[in-house]
Amino acid sequence: MSPLYWERHPNGPFATLIRVATTYCSPDADEEAYEGLKRLAKRENDEEMRVFKAELREVLQDPGRLPNNELSESVEYDDGSDEAFLRRLWHDLYGDEPLDDAT
Amino acid sequence: MGVRDGLEQGEPDVPGSNRPRELAIAEGPADRAPSPALDEPRSKGEVYAEHRQRADGGWEPRLYEASRSELGRFNPERAGLPQMSLDAAADYVAQHRAARPWLAIADTASPEARRIIAALDAGGGHGHIRHEGWVTEEASMRRAAYREDPAQLDPAKRSQGIDGLKAGNRPHRCGEFATRVTDTDAFATAFVRGVEHPEARAVLDMPFDSDRWPGELTVPITELLGAEGHQYCTGWQLEAVGGSIEAARENRAAWLRARTGSQDSDALEPSARPVPTFEGGDMLFVVGQNRTQDGYEIATMYPRPPRAGH
Repeated sequence: MSPLYWERHPNGPFATLIRVATTYCSPDADEEAYEGLKRLAKRENDEEMRVFKAELREVLQDPGRLPNNELSESVEYDDGSDEAFLRRLWHDLYGDEPLDDAT
Repeated sequence: MGVRDGLEQGEPDVPGSNRPRELAIAEGPADRAPSPALDEPRSKGEVYAEHRQRADGGWEPRLYEASRSELGRFNPERAGLPQMSLDAAADYVAQHRAARPWLAIADTASPEARRIIAALDAGGGHGHIRHEGWVTEEASMRRAAYREDPAQLDPAKRSQGIDGLKAGNRPHRCGEFATRVTDTDAFATAFVRGVEHPEARAVLDMPFDSDRWPGELTVPITELLGAEGHQYCTGWQLEAVGGSIEAARENRAAWLRARTGSQDSDALEPSARPVPTFEGGDMLFVVGQNRTQDGYEIATMYPRPPRAGH
């Protein structure tokens, strides 16, 4: 059984969020990759990033909806909790943009 | 002449220069490393780590019998790597081994595997540097526990957790596991088979986008190295803190900041334990941008144990 959540559950909840976060934020991703993610986040017509942002916004409003341990096991962040990592990620990518902005 | 050359010519199975050291470890209880013999060239730490890996990880050093014809047919350009002949590989290893000591492990490999290691080294990936036979058990253990980079050749910088492959004294990163393929021919075999796996081909052949990284994919170890392939894998796992691996990673980061003097901390000294088994595990491939930033390549490859509880 794959250790990667999105390989086990390609249509599972928050699969895009976990896959993108792992790709650009895990220990195997370097600083250049993270800068690439920041540039991707600015693209307005990128479908993957549209889904990623929607899932990030959704989970930050209720982090308890994340599948158990999947984000932590994949991203292996040092932030101590899913919520702390995701809030840092949101700030890095979208600055002070409010979470409840549905536009 | 390397070990594989001798085997191919029908000579006795004489271990190469690094083999006797591994095989010389005495059996003993798991919680005590044997005292190094008088002629023991390894440090106590190396003896301790290998002993624990044998006792708790069930590891025994063994040679992988690779299909040399399969390795010989491999075209490095399929992986975004430079072309490399057998002779060019031997020259490359001879020329660079002083500055890039991980190439010394190619002495124990078949010429065909050596060609692949040389092509990897000439490319931008680092799998063969951090996850292959030249990395000792102690180095893997210290990478998981302290984030010490085996690729960092300056001991002072290594102890400070500074990455050995990035410019600018950047911190080395490591997740919960530090793992390796213990045999060079097994590593080369997993690599060439992984490169031709349909999922890997799909991402390696993606149109290049300078902002996009393809990321990770996995292939079962059995598909790459056969039913016994897990026996060529070892690894170390960061010990949980208070039952939490999240807390352990956070603690390790705080401990390292204190160690480097950048922040006061009462963090516990991290520790690591051998991965008990890789049976049922996967080989993880990380696909990233190549050095010339015009295509994708396998940035690294390493074994992952089966998920706990699955």
